[in-house]
Amino acid sequence: MGAVVKYVIAGLVRYWLIHTDFWHTLSNRVEIATPLNSWKRLIEGVYLYDQNINPYEGDAFHESPIVLVIFHYLLKHVPYSLPFIFSAMDLLTAYLLYKTSRGFVRIFLNCQEKYLSDVSQESKDMVMTESQLKETSEYVLSVYLFNPYSILNCVGMTTTVLQNMLLAAALCGAAHGYVIISCAFLAFATHQALYPVLLIVPTAMILAEVNKGCNKCSYIKTLLAFVLSWSFVVYISAFIMDGSYNYVYNTYGFILTVPDLKPNIGLFWYFFTEMFEHFRLLFVCAFQINALILYIVPLTLRFKKEPILLVTVLLALSTVFRSYPCVGDVGFYMAFIPMWKHLFTFMQQKFIVACAFIITSALGPTVWHLWIYSGSANANFFFGVTLSFATAQIFLITDLLFAYIKREYTLKNGSSRTIDGKPAKLVLR
Amino acid sequence: MFNSKNFLFFIAVFIETIFNANGDLFNEELFIKPLPPAHLYTYFQFTTLVNDNLSSEHTYLAPRSLVEVLTRFQVDELHFTLTEGQWRHNHWGYPVLDAAPGAELYAWFSSDVENVDTQWKKLSSTLAGLFCASLNFIEDFNTITPQMALQPTGAIPQNPNITSQLRYASLPREIVCTENLTPWKKLLPCESSRGLSALLNSRMIHNTNYHSIGVHTRKVCSSSDCSVVSLEIKQTVALVYDSKIIRTTDWSFTKLFGQGLPGGCPLASSSKVYVDITTNDTQPFLLSPEPEKVLLSQRGGSETKLALYTIKPENKMTTIGAKYISKKDLVLMKLPPLYFNRYVLGYGKEFGGIVTELTNTFWSSIDVVVLQNAPWWLPIQLSSLRINGEASSEMVLARHYSPGRSRQKPYHLELLLRLPPKSTTKITIDFEFVFLKWQEYPPDANHGFYVGSAIITANLPTARNYTSLPGTASLFESSINASKPWYPAVFRTNGVMVSLPTPDFSMPYNVICLACTVVALAFGPLHNICTKELVLKVVGSSVTLKQKIINLFKKKKE
Repeated sequence: MGAVVKYVIAGLVRYWLIHTDFWHTLSNRVEIATPLNSWKRLIEGVYLYDQNINPYEGDAFHESPIVLVIFHYLLKHVPYSLPFIFSAMDLLTAYLLYKTSRGFVRIFLNCQEKYLSDVSQESKDMVMTESQLKETSEYVLSVYLFNPYSILNCVGMTTTVLQNMLLAAALCGAAHGYVIISCAFLAFATHQALYPVLLIVPTAMILAEVNKGCNKCSYIKTLLAFVLSWSFVVYISAFIMDGSYNYVYNTYGFILTVPDLKPNIGLFWYFFTEMFEHFRLLFVCAFQINALILYIVPLTLRFKKEPILLVTVLLALSTVFRSYPCVGDVGFYMAFIPMWKHLFTFMQQKFIVACAFIITSALGPTVWHLWIYSGSANANFFFGVTLSFATAQIFLITDLLFAYIKREYTLKNGSSRTIDGKPAKLVLR
Repeated sequence: MFNSKNFLFFIAVFIETIFNANGDLFNEELFIKPLPPAHLYTYFQFTTLVNDNLSSEHTYLAPRSLVEVLTRFQVDELHFTLTEGQWRHNHWGYPVLDAAPGAELYAWFSSDVENVDTQWKKLSSTLAGLFCASLNFIEDFNTITPQMALQPTGAIPQNPNITSQLRYASLPREIVCTENLTPWKKLLPCESSRGLSALLNSRMIHNTNYHSIGVHTRKVCSSSDCSVVSLEIKQTVALVYDSKIIRTTDWSFTKLFGQGLPGGCPLASSSKVYVDITTNDTQPFLLSPEPEKVLLSQRGGSETKLALYTIKPENKMTTIGAKYISKKDLVLMKLPPLYFNRYVLGYGKEFGGIVTELTNTFWSSIDVVVLQNAPWWLPIQLSSLRINGEASSEMVLARHYSPGRSRQKPYHLELLLRLPPKSTTKITIDFEFVFLKWQEYPPDANHGFYVGSAIITANLPTARNYTSLPGTASLFESSINASKPWYPAVFRTNGVMVSLPTPDFSMPYNVICLACTVVALAFGPLHNICTKELVLKVVGSSVTLKQKIINLFKKKKE
């Protein structure tokens, strides 16, 4: 009953906000809409497609052709129900996240059981019980439904709403052991925004975990299913564009080469505005490697026992370091944070991070207005705010990981922090 | 015995035969039209007709440097103008040839040219050298291929995809100066020593409200069935004087150009000065000296009176001038059948819109082609195109849109509209401000960015305020009594300016360092977490500063 009330309230809030006068402002905010996902560009792309002009010929549209035809159909046949469709998609995302976290809790409990013998006698009471973990799913649901970031994302009617739904569906499929469903949705999400490709690693690990049996066979099966479905969506898109693969330059090419320097909450825009032209390629490569490849191998090796933590961290890292991030991405990975409620006691920077999130969220729009409309501030102000927003997110991620390894240590060695009676502290060596 | 008089005569006949045989014809004309209440339009036209078979090896009266360029790049028709100031169609009527503010260049290449784009780039760079203008900044990102708005005026073989040979570019930021006028004058057979071009004194002509210099070349038929074509090179100067600047409404050559006319160019077949004295009825003035002839021209229902002076090469220094007899009240100009206005909407530096207003004052509908040419840094959204606030208007008969691409291609929109009689039509389109890289901003980035003017092509049903020559004609006299069913015209609206958001230009090192620091903030801890393990370490007693210094020395000794 409680859950239904939550859905209804969250749905009504979204539906109502779309119909207020603020909608125009919200859907054009730089924090919400990027060149990649904005509603305005979607409308332009659909309009051009409707007029028989290839939307990928110009610079207006960067979404996948599949999204293009879906919205072409929707805008043609049911234009008035789009606010409803967007709200419903977001609610469905919340439901899928809830289901995912239920699955994750089961996996988590299994893991805990497997390594129960390693837990020291002293820390036995730190082992999570099923009832403790059950309630985290409720928190996941509430956080996604009432997080201002996800609400604003949905109200802005960005294509990130669809992206989040696909990711939630992929993870939900993985948590329940459906290889094909999971891989298909992940492939579609990757097709849309490229960065979700990172998630194939934890997904493969979760699927292997859930579908007991030969681990390597499961990895290969997952990878194969992913590659096949990705090629399939790429092919379907080309089929929609009359067999031409030119759209790739406007979707993946646009994400990778960052030609549009419109400010957003990420790190790329000002960095590449101020970049010296002959270093541009070097730094584009460096930043994209940082976002796509750098962390995946070490983190996988370090957290191979915890694919769910890996999902959370990779989602968050790719959000911080992607070329066109928006608050919708932030809202999505934030929904996974309550899953790590048991780590909160080990986190040291909760307060700082929370304050930084609140302050930057308020300051960002303010300095944007001062820069663009009042002309009394300049680009550095907004850059400073986005920089601290990124820093806050990074602190959140690293703090979470440190908390995890601290808990891991405590579980193994007990919570005493003394060596031969002398006070000692935990350090990395 | 040889009579010296006979000998001279013989020489004269000989020279005459040479010129006739080679057939280059050069005509110079000056058209002066008062634009009440306070302006004066002067238009110079120097026309060279090359009857000879075209070869760049040798030319007679045509400038070799230009002919060489035309043959080398196989240009069929070329229009190049450099303009400073804004022509006000609703106050001044129509000019003989309209031009966009800044530099404007468009050309049709011969149908043999396959790679038009490379030829176009070569042509523009060569002309940049020839006219000392920044035409070398013409690149793919500011070149368009108009589909409907521009049609060749010369004799070009019928070709269904003639537009594929056309390229158009305008540089609205270009500043016109003496350095452009001097090479332009060098192309004339008499340069600036004799003839009407002697009046073009850069000290005076850059002191006007509007000035535009141009070179227009085209092919014209030299036989009745048009099997033989010859080249026509037309050099033009249009000036609009402001009586406030010359401090009097009375005008004379000395006042306008700083000197009198030292006689016509000896190489010219004719040197003529036309003064439009139609306004004499309402604002009477006296011409001095008396015109040779007064021509009455009936054209498309409007009547024009032209005073004609023929200038002979052997003429002494002459000065033509006008003195107003009485200062009457303000006279209202009759509005031209079609006029337009263009401006930018919105505030802030995030979103905006461009409005083009077209007013049809005529009693029947007029078909016009409107070409909007937005640079890549001003992305317009076709879905936001509104005509009088309507998304789909019945006025649009045809539309062509080619979307732009950042740093590669401009946005190009052409509309064929049927303007209803006695109406104002408002074309609105939204754009988004683009954030450029810091090195892409021009010096003085906060000055603003110029957006080129829109082209408006119309077939006017009436010749009211119309001064252009008929399409096939070369000389001014052919516009007298030249009534046609319609009068083709190509106009340019005023340009607009937008102010793009700027980054802080002094910050590159700081920004690179700060952004990399944030990346390092993630990389460092993640690297630690992945490569190190947690261990317990005894917390030692705190070391005093003295102890630290001693430790430092100890280490060094070791």
